[in-house]
Amino acid sequence: ETILSRIRSFDYSQKNAVLVPAAALGVGGMLLYWARPRRKMNIIDMGNGWWGSCERPEEWKEDDSIRPFKIETSDKEIEDLHQRLDRFRFTPHVEGAAFHYGFNSSYLKKVVSYWRNQFDWRKQVEELNKYPHFHTTIEGIDIHFIHVKPSYVPHGQTVQPLLMVHGWPGSFYEFYKIIPLLTEPAKHGLNEGDVVFEVICPSIPGYGFSEAPHKKEFDTIAAARIFHKLMSRLGFRKYYLQGGDWGSRITTNMAQMLPQCVKGLHLNIAFLGKPSLRRMISIMLGAYVPWLVGLNREDARRFYPYMQKNVYDVLRESGYLHIQATKPDTAGCGLNDSPVGLAAYILEKFSTWTDKSFLHKDDGGLESKYSLDELLTNVMIYWVTSSIVSSMRFYKENFSTDPDLTAHNRVGVRVPTGIAAFPQEIIHTPHVWIKDVYKNIISYSYMPRGGHFAAFEEPKLLAQDIVEFVRKVEQL
Amino acid sequence: CSSLAGIMLLEVFLVLGTLLIYFLFSKKKEEMLPFKDGWWGKGQKPVTKEDSSIRPFKVETTEEELSDLFRRLDQARFTEPLENSCFHYGTNSVHLRKVVSYWKNQFNWKKQVEVLNKYPQFKTKIQGIDIHFVHVKPPCLPEGQAAKPLLMVHGWPGSFYEFYKIIPLLTDPASHSLGDEHVFEVICPSIPGYGFSEAPHKKDFNSVSAASVFYELMLRLGFDEFYTQGGDWGWLICTNLAQIAPNHVKGLHLNMVSVSKLGLTHLLSVLLGRYFPGLFGFQDEDVRRMFPFLKKGLYKILSESGYAHIQATKPDTVGCGLNDSPVGLAAYILEKFSSWTDKEFRDLEDGGLERKFSLDDLLTNIMIYWVSGCIVSSMRFYKENLQKGIGTQKHEKLTVRVPTGIASFPNEILHIPQAWAKKKYTNIVSFHFMPRGGHFAAFEEPELLAKDILQFVGKVEKEQLWKKK
Repeated sequence: ETILSRIRSFDYSQKNAVLVPAAALGVGGMLLYWARPRRKMNIIDMGNGWWGSCERPEEWKEDDSIRPFKIETSDKEIEDLHQRLDRFRFTPHVEGAAFHYGFNSSYLKKVVSYWRNQFDWRKQVEELNKYPHFHTTIEGIDIHFIHVKPSYVPHGQTVQPLLMVHGWPGSFYEFYKIIPLLTEPAKHGLNEGDVVFEVICPSIPGYGFSEAPHKKEFDTIAAARIFHKLMSRLGFRKYYLQGGDWGSRITTNMAQMLPQCVKGLHLNIAFLGKPSLRRMISIMLGAYVPWLVGLNREDARRFYPYMQKNVYDVLRESGYLHIQATKPDTAGCGLNDSPVGLAAYILEKFSTWTDKSFLHKDDGGLESKYSLDELLTNVMIYWVTSSIVSSMRFYKENFSTDPDLTAHNRVGVRVPTGIAAFPQEIIHTPHVWIKDVYKNIISYSYMPRGGHFAAFEEPKLLAQDIVEFVRKVEQL
Repeated sequence: CSSLAGIMLLEVFLVLGTLLIYFLFSKKKEEMLPFKDGWWGKGQKPVTKEDSSIRPFKVETTEEELSDLFRRLDQARFTEPLENSCFHYGTNSVHLRKVVSYWKNQFNWKKQVEVLNKYPQFKTKIQGIDIHFVHVKPPCLPEGQAAKPLLMVHGWPGSFYEFYKIIPLLTDPASHSLGDEHVFEVICPSIPGYGFSEAPHKKDFNSVSAASVFYELMLRLGFDEFYTQGGDWGWLICTNLAQIAPNHVKGLHLNMVSVSKLGLTHLLSVLLGRYFPGLFGFQDEDVRRMFPFLKKGLYKILSESGYAHIQATKPDTVGCGLNDSPVGLAAYILEKFSSWTDKEFRDLEDGGLERKFSLDDLLTNIMIYWVSGCIVSSMRFYKENLQKGIGTQKHEKLTVRVPTGIASFPNEILHIPQAWAKKKYTNIVSFHFMPRGGHFAAFEEPELLAKDILQFVGKVEKEQLWKKK
């Protein structure tokens, strides 16, 4: 009361002397509060999903057991395959076709002959079973994965968990040659064994031994979420990710969803989507003055001529993408019924995406980089699981909502990222533009050789780059 | 000083004016599309003269062929569709199972072969390959009248069989209440690489090659002047034929047109045509069919052209499995008979297939691809025509001056208004909006199409328009 009476007794000018600074402080304080640096919400919402058949039961608690799994085959399966191979109907190609019209049917005859007479599926099944396989149910569907731990860990060393995601038309099998280089690097002369991994390779739902979603709209976000749940179920709180093809999109989404769980993201391909006006101008200028727009000589060599390499070549190679993104059930129908048709469709990619010049070869250059056993084992995974149609549906589910696969590029990727840029990859994305999306690039390597199927074709090169990248991240 | 400026200004105007006149008038060049000679047989062209005899042909089948087909149908491996997907992801495999069951148990291929053989068929060697064709003459002709030769060309994934319902309406119109003023003898060849026509063994067999081969066929059959009709690839082949031999083609009738030279006017009319149709020469029906353009034009093309994209780049890959799996072949082909007949059929669980066609008819067409093993070569035609890009070939830049009649069906994949068509077809005698029907006009609405052909020919004949080119 005394204070009030004292204030009331102030005269006008003295009131001002108090009120104005007080008001200024008040307003200033509010401004500061409003403009304070906020933690930016730059992640993707995880959401949730249910992909099993029929409705999700009301009182439902997911069976989270992890069940060991072994791939099996039977006489009946092999007999059926042989019968289909025997009655395959060939179409002669036009003279001088090489691989320009697609898979060369003369060479296909040789592949089929090998498949029928020398390829030993039982032996390959044993080969596939050499790593431990498991199944676990997540969001209503069975997820298949292999989990390989190092056989020997030096005293006191940490083992880094590494999730590697395949793409189309690949499978978990693509990683079979690179896994030993990552779980036992010292044994393969990679380093002194300071970085050792335990590797988890899941199959994307709808591919291989992972159950296919029964509901629509299963996209890379859903796959990313499921793989996070998988890693969590396996007891990992922080882990590394590696991917190419769809694996690159899925692991990128994973890094955007739960960045706190992702120690590092390694990619052998990065998608940037349609260029903005700024980038279009850089593209045009870069043809003449690459250094001005941040392109080095290797970038320029791989990226230009622009129209040829980024428009015509892409148009020539993306017919499969167009039809799979619009009519997957039609495109895959015959391929699930004709193993030779399936092989031609898949192996054409292993030819052209490994080296574009293979188009000019009568045999598509396939056996110059891979063995027929490896190639056919991958095809057999699609065949015995009847997963070609569901694998193609992934294209429609993703492209119909997001035509250039970059809806989430605006969110950006902030986890430490490593990029291995292979020279024969379908498209080359220079460092200067990738960092618009991937804000934290720790390493960007121009690989000396290799194409799209990096882990399959150049496992040692890729492993070295992954190890280098992880070493750098660990030192941060 | 001002006079100098005035002189300069005058000079500038003169130059601009000359350029303008040059551009306006120089384009009216009289150019014909050259006949494309070729040799499509295996190996080297022999020195001896080609056998040009015309040999009768009959479609045949064997027990072995049938039992092989049945075994494959029995062992077909299907993939369950996603819940509630209807035909949105392509051919629905639940419905496909029903079709396959009919195929195995009720469809009678032997009987259908007899149906196919009801019209006389022939083969003749042209440019090194055997060309198959159906040749139907009118059963009777009115006094003093001559039958008008009419070449009808099919498309993909159709065949000569698509014309089997319309042929009697054209060779014997009187019996079908269509009058007897114009009676036709109809020739339906199979495009090389399709059905019973041999596939080219060399690269570069495109629509101009096909047009040249069919031109030789008509000459060999003794026709100096004839009409042509076509849709799908038939549209392009007949157009090319009219460009190669305008003095021999009395009239060109199309149930589909497409434009490949898109310019500023097209862009403007797409953006503004809905609001100012008159300005761009659009009629109400044009606007109804074309707009909203994104939905009915761009998105529709994108969602329906995946097949064209892969066939134009990797035909041998995509066709490989389809030549080995009859079920896969059926799924691939039936999908087109669904969505190209009515795009709303995608929302139906059975794709609306049997609303406009009988299963017997649909399967007979598919069997033609199966027994002749021609799916891969049929797809190559896309690559040979499209690989260099749309709008780049010479024939796409030339106009057509032959009297043209266009029957525009409402459910055609893309609607091209007369305003756009007349830039290429400079002599459109009739352009009609058909009341119903889709892409496979002859197969689906033979009577409507026959009537339009008859009225078109009527106009051409009455005014002897082919002489006025």
